[in-house]
Amino acid sequence: MQPALESCCRTALEVGMSTTAQNAAGNVVDADAADVSRVLAGDVNAFEGIVRRWQGPMVNMAWRYCRDRARAEDLAQEALVRAWRGLATWRQESSFSTWLFALAANVCRNDLKRFPAVNLPIEKIAEPARAADQQTKAEERSRYEVVRRAVLALPRRYREPVVLFYFHEKDVAAAARTMGLPEGTVKARLSRARELLRRRFPGLEKERAGIKMREEAGA
Amino acid sequence: MTDERMDEILGAEDELVPSSGFLASVMERVRKEAAAPPPIPFPWKRAVPGIVVATGVFGWSAVEFARRIGPAMGSVTLPPVQLSAALVRPLEQAGWVVAACALSIATWLLSRRLAR
Repeated sequence: MQPALESCCRTALEVGMSTTAQNAAGNVVDADAADVSRVLAGDVNAFEGIVRRWQGPMVNMAWRYCRDRARAEDLAQEALVRAWRGLATWRQESSFSTWLFALAANVCRNDLKRFPAVNLPIEKIAEPARAADQQTKAEERSRYEVVRRAVLALPRRYREPVVLFYFHEKDVAAAARTMGLPEGTVKARLSRARELLRRRFPGLEKERAGIKMREEAGA
Repeated sequence: MTDERMDEILGAEDELVPSSGFLASVMERVRKEAAAPPPIPFPWKRAVPGIVVATGVFGWSAVEFARRIGPAMGSVTLPPVQLSAALVRPLEQAGWVVAACALSIATWLLSRRLAR
């Protein structure tokens, strides 16, 4: 669930795609820089443009940290207000999104240190019950939600790389930039986190294989 | 669970749309903070003379205390404690370990307090 704007910027700036995408990303970057300049010059209302563009990504990022909608909005709001206070510290060496995501990650991290989203260790999270043959979409979604919540029960050093890796649409470099860690470190932690999840939910893969076999047999 | 399966579960999530009042509530907070008067700076001009005087008084007190207590302490003779070297050395080492632990804990507590 990479936010559309971020996705658009990355695509155009880092990968180099179509001219339209480049223009769109350039517009976003220009708009951010222009709004920041106006805010720093004393125009408080110019911050509204920044909030409008980044509210979605901020809320979604916070949601992945806590999986609680109300809390995610509170965290996103706090991050945006802190961004407003600290706009002068954005040194335009990195993109505005990198700076903003790093700040938001810091807000989420500190808040979760005080009030963890999940108080159980991952070993105590029960594996979802084996699905019936006629598994509905809703049942499948709720079972997936158990796995997603289990991510929050991972030890802190492994949890955040997973949260940010998937938030940034499986972009290790972007996750590393947000955390302010080397890519290698993030990759290593991600691998360890995956290992922990794999050990916790061995049944999901078997079950998937079973469903595929049944589908093939049915066809 | 393979990496592909994990990507399938963790990567595909519905996007949340912020509630309708989110933008307004952020801007309300920002405007409130912008309208608030700037924080009052610490009155260094007034505080510096007081700090200088307090430092002088403490220093003078320490010197006077040492001057009066020093000779009195010199007349006191404590009985010598006889400890074997085998006992003294581990005790010395334990003392250093305790001191290092205490210093680490104090530093940790201070950094936690400052980080709040």
